[in-house]
Amino acid sequence: MDLILTNGMNLVYAVATLALIALGLAVVFGLLGVMNMAHGEFVMLGAFSVYVTQEAGLPILAAVPLALGVCGIVGYCVEWSIVRHLYSRPFDTLLATWGLSILMRKIVEVSFGRDYKSIDQVLPGTVDLFGIAYPSYRLVLLAVIAGFFGLLFIWYRRSNTGARIKAMVSNPPLAAAVGIDTARLARMTFVFGVCTAGLAGVALAPLVRVEPYMGIDYLLSSFFILVVGGLGSLEGLLIGSTVIGGTDAVISTLFAKTSGYMAVLLISILFLWLRPDGLFSRR
Amino acid sequence: MAYSRVASLLAFVLLLAVPALSGMFTAYQLGLYLIFGLVGQGIALCWGRAGFLPLGQALFFGIGAYIAGAALKGADGNVFMLVPLLAVAVAVPALLAALVGLLVFNRQIGSGPYFSLITLALTMLGFQLANSADTITGGFNGMTGIPGLPGIDSFGNLYFVIVGVLAVVSLGLYWLLKTPFGVLLSATAQNEERLQFFGFNTSALKAAAFGISAGLAGLAGALYAPHQGIVTPQSVGFLLSAEFVIWTAVGGRASIAGPVIGAVVIGFLASELRDAFRYWEAVIGLIFIVTVLKFPQGLVGLAGALPGWFSDAARRPSRRRDVAAPPHRSDDAPSLVFDSVGVRIGPVRILDGLSLRIDKPGIHAIIGPNGAGKTSAFNAMTGRLPLTAGNIAWHGHSLAGLKPYQVARRDISRKFQVPSVFADLTVDENLDIALWANRIGLAALFSMRPHAWRSDLFEALAERFVFLKDGGTTAGALSLGQRQMLDFSMTYLTEARLVLLDEPCAGLSTGETAQMIEAIAAINASIGSTAIIIEHDMRVVERLSDHVFVMHQGRLLAEGNIAAVRADPEVQAVYSGGTK
Amino acid sequence: MDRRLFIKLAASTAAMSAVPAVGAALAADPIKVGVLLPQSGPGGLFGPSCENATNLAVAEINGAGGILGRMIEPIFADVGGPPSDANQAALKLWKGEKVDAFIGMHDSAVRGALTNLFKGQVPYIYTPVYEGGECAAGTYVLGETPAQQLEPVIPWMAANKGASKWYLIGNDYNWPRDTNTAAKGYIEASGGTIVGEEYLPFTADNFDSNLAKIKSSGADAVLITLVGGASVGFNRAFASFGLPDSVVRLGTLIEENTLAGIGAENSKNLYSSAGYFAAIDTPAATAFSKAYHGKFGADAAALNTLGESCYEGMKLLQALAEKAGSLDVADLENAADGTSYDGPRGRATMSERHVSRDVFLAEADGAGFKVVEVFPAVSAGKNCQ
Repeated sequence: MDLILTNGMNLVYAVATLALIALGLAVVFGLLGVMNMAHGEFVMLGAFSVYVTQEAGLPILAAVPLALGVCGIVGYCVEWSIVRHLYSRPFDTLLATWGLSILMRKIVEVSFGRDYKSIDQVLPGTVDLFGIAYPSYRLVLLAVIAGFFGLLFIWYRRSNTGARIKAMVSNPPLAAAVGIDTARLARMTFVFGVCTAGLAGVALAPLVRVEPYMGIDYLLSSFFILVVGGLGSLEGLLIGSTVIGGTDAVISTLFAKTSGYMAVLLISILFLWLRPDGLFSRR
Repeated sequence: MAYSRVASLLAFVLLLAVPALSGMFTAYQLGLYLIFGLVGQGIALCWGRAGFLPLGQALFFGIGAYIAGAALKGADGNVFMLVPLLAVAVAVPALLAALVGLLVFNRQIGSGPYFSLITLALTMLGFQLANSADTITGGFNGMTGIPGLPGIDSFGNLYFVIVGVLAVVSLGLYWLLKTPFGVLLSATAQNEERLQFFGFNTSALKAAAFGISAGLAGLAGALYAPHQGIVTPQSVGFLLSAEFVIWTAVGGRASIAGPVIGAVVIGFLASELRDAFRYWEAVIGLIFIVTVLKFPQGLVGLAGALPGWFSDAARRPSRRRDVAAPPHRSDDAPSLVFDSVGVRIGPVRILDGLSLRIDKPGIHAIIGPNGAGKTSAFNAMTGRLPLTAGNIAWHGHSLAGLKPYQVARRDISRKFQVPSVFADLTVDENLDIALWANRIGLAALFSMRPHAWRSDLFEALAERFVFLKDGGTTAGALSLGQRQMLDFSMTYLTEARLVLLDEPCAGLSTGETAQMIEAIAAINASIGSTAIIIEHDMRVVERLSDHVFVMHQGRLLAEGNIAAVRADPEVQAVYSGGTK
Repeated sequence: MDRRLFIKLAASTAAMSAVPAVGAALAADPIKVGVLLPQSGPGGLFGPSCENATNLAVAEINGAGGILGRMIEPIFADVGGPPSDANQAALKLWKGEKVDAFIGMHDSAVRGALTNLFKGQVPYIYTPVYEGGECAAGTYVLGETPAQQLEPVIPWMAANKGASKWYLIGNDYNWPRDTNTAAKGYIEASGGTIVGEEYLPFTADNFDSNLAKIKSSGADAVLITLVGGASVGFNRAFASFGLPDSVVRLGTLIEENTLAGIGAENSKNLYSSAGYFAAIDTPAATAFSKAYHGKFGADAAALNTLGESCYEGMKLLQALAEKAGSLDVADLENAADGTSYDGPRGRATMSERHVSRDVFLAEADGAGFKVVEVFPAVSAGKNCQ
């Protein structure tokens, strides 16, 4: 019973964090069609923001504005200098952002060194949850992620920006014709996407390893989630996270972690092949 | 042309001279980059020619390398055992890729990112398998102690083997790209759907290109194993795959020499920077961003942009055509039946019980107000729209569920309203593709003879549209009217029994319209085809057709000669306007 | 093809091969030692400490008159990439720079490529902890083998920490598998049982299912052969579930950097077995550590068993060369057995191209290690089949 509950909580946690990590890529890839290979590096920037604030003796919450600022500025510059020239050339975006990811890793390595950064635990210890000991920070994080996605969902549904992004995506020339500044909107969407990646980095920093090369894992799992869930909807993002996180958790529990990883790869290949628009497609 | 041939020969001689000029060590180093360049050549074939990007080429490289490594260890110098095993090292990756390509491309038209991501995931899977299956592959530590090729020193004359293979492969690719197969690959990248309407199975073409590229990767792997003496899972990995693409992009994705130049330049650059600058990877990353942004055609494109360096592409004279294309036409009476055809997309009924029958040759017209379902009727016939009710039969065989190329192979040719020619190909190449449609066999795809094909209709069209004689012009450089006429000529050159023309006069000037009307009437009569023409302009209909179908709201409203249809009160009610 | 490119290319290849002709080596010529270490890739973390340690050893040896009366000149190359890159780098030093010997601190895949490249024609000292089993002529291995790290340590853990039910977890490759194969024998010999064994892909970043399995297996000890980032992530998650209170952890590659990443509050009941820790307080080790930080500053890359092994590599080269009286592999082969030297790790004595030496068991003490036991002169086990 305890084991089932632990595994269940772990699954919820895995799905929530995967969705949080993939959100930034869902925005950038799903809405703008930019296969941002440097997505994981923005997560890394967020995690390093926590390190910087910790070294300055500030609490982890201080890392939120720092991560938003750093990712926002870097994202703005990247969109302006690289991405905006390549919106109609998906392969080239992929290659250019791959180059960018190398550059970002190296700049962080030069600035902070190659070694693992130790982030202090936030809310250390466990909480007794129906008889199982579960880490307190994880529970808080789950609540924060749920709240964040709830707000995002409402905002995207209700706000004008959501409507305008949808308009731009479904018909760029028309959106431009009705007076939407598509260039600016695209830039803001990109910046928003990389900023959420940075926030994911902040949230996860106390739980994971923090070093300049941490990004690549997040990039790949995010791609798989989007592939399974389909592009351009929050529901799809959650479904994708559930399928990927669930497959990994179930196969890893029943067999071994390597099998879980290979099962995720296989599922992704099958989706790319048979259902390239994902389970939740708007098309 | 002549210039690049001289340059290639010079390059080859220079490569052969490297060991003498710079010593065996440089040659050994260069050998590895040339091996990587071979893989890049395969990527360039897919990416620069056929328009799809394989992101996981290391999978095939690694499979080739592991098989060759196992073969070299197992054969123990026995050449008779080794040769077939090395052939397997090339064949297995090639067949695997062709199979993956067929499965994926058959489901997905176009060259979107999904195929690329599949190849990426496959290479990651390959890495994990190579890592875990340590009894076969040696695991992370690798398959070690692989001997050299019998009688060949890995640090010495293996270099010449590599250069020889590179020369043969480069010549082979040069030849391949000139064959109809190569021309069709370029056409696939530009307008895959249009090519399908000429009866070409583009997924098979792409799968074949992917198979060839994987075979090259396997061949490179088979050279890598004796060159390095060790094969590790990194040879199957994601990072090496990415590097292959980087070298190809930097060197030039659309050229034969480009990927090799890219691998060599980046290889030596990295090897030098590595010792001089700890953060050398940042420099490579930067070079890569700049290349993609500023020089999408890579170093080779940079050279080509210099005036006078590659002047061969400007204007070529028309080709000599002196081989009669295989005869194709048959003179049966047509038989086309639409039986209560329904097409529905979501809640919208696009076709709603359309029934009509055509059993006489000549020109039939479909008219009707906007949204009547005229183009949709064509789409339903040609595999572009799935039927949700009824059936369409052509000579007694259902067309439902067929793919566009399968419909085209049943002798149905179609021209779209917007002129769809292959813009980057020459007029000659465009016409070739139409002449090859339904005539070219598998063997002829890889021969130069079809370039000389002609037909009587070809001569007639060239007399009528004189710009067709200037066959070296790039199709994209033609005026809109000329492109319509080229597209029209291509549609008829197939000599299909049924020709579908969707507003062939759209966008033409008054003079051009008259010329086009005259051409349709004369050409169709000369080959005795059956044509269905969608037209808004009643003057065109009057001139061309004595049998008119009027469509309204996805159904047939009336049919008959133009006078009868005009007199029909129902038609008068819904369809206002005899002229534009 | 572009002519200019070709000219450029030809020029650059010519420049690279323009190696000064070397005549007969004079006695005063320096001994060139190729030092192959990772500055990029996953092992890049250990490049700086290894480079420093090498430079320190060179300075000391040269200050005392060099090896065989000749000064040492280290030439560094980055071998953090795949074996083919390492092959190129080593070949450049060997044939281009004409180095007389190699010292390598890199993964086993690169070692496989290099032994195949060198084929015993040039002395090659391999320094890092590894799975054992290397037996090529001219290749001398300094690193800890599983036999050294576990044979004395597992009984100690059983006797002092009550470790009886072991869960083995490592990354999915040769070193963890071979280490665990050795571990099973020692665990059974100490009366313990194996309650689980699992291997994770390098990409693993979620360890929840493993932790749940460890918990439900009833394990009281975990043997960790995860490397680098995976070890950091696993140990952090392990602690966040409160497992350290009931389960003791033993790692065979948890060095100072990994421990820093794990963090002080996550390192309770964590043990590490290695030939070197920065915290060893023998006079030789403290002198070394003092010299290291004196030369490279207090902020220099943290000392650890991999970085320090490069210092030992230079010391072993000196001992071998001086015993053999030359740097010829044939002479070295004859002299190797019984060669010994004293370093920060204590006395090392060579047999079967490996060394027997002291092994240290340390307990994580906050962000650092505290040596709790020293096992003297442990043999590297049987490595030549």
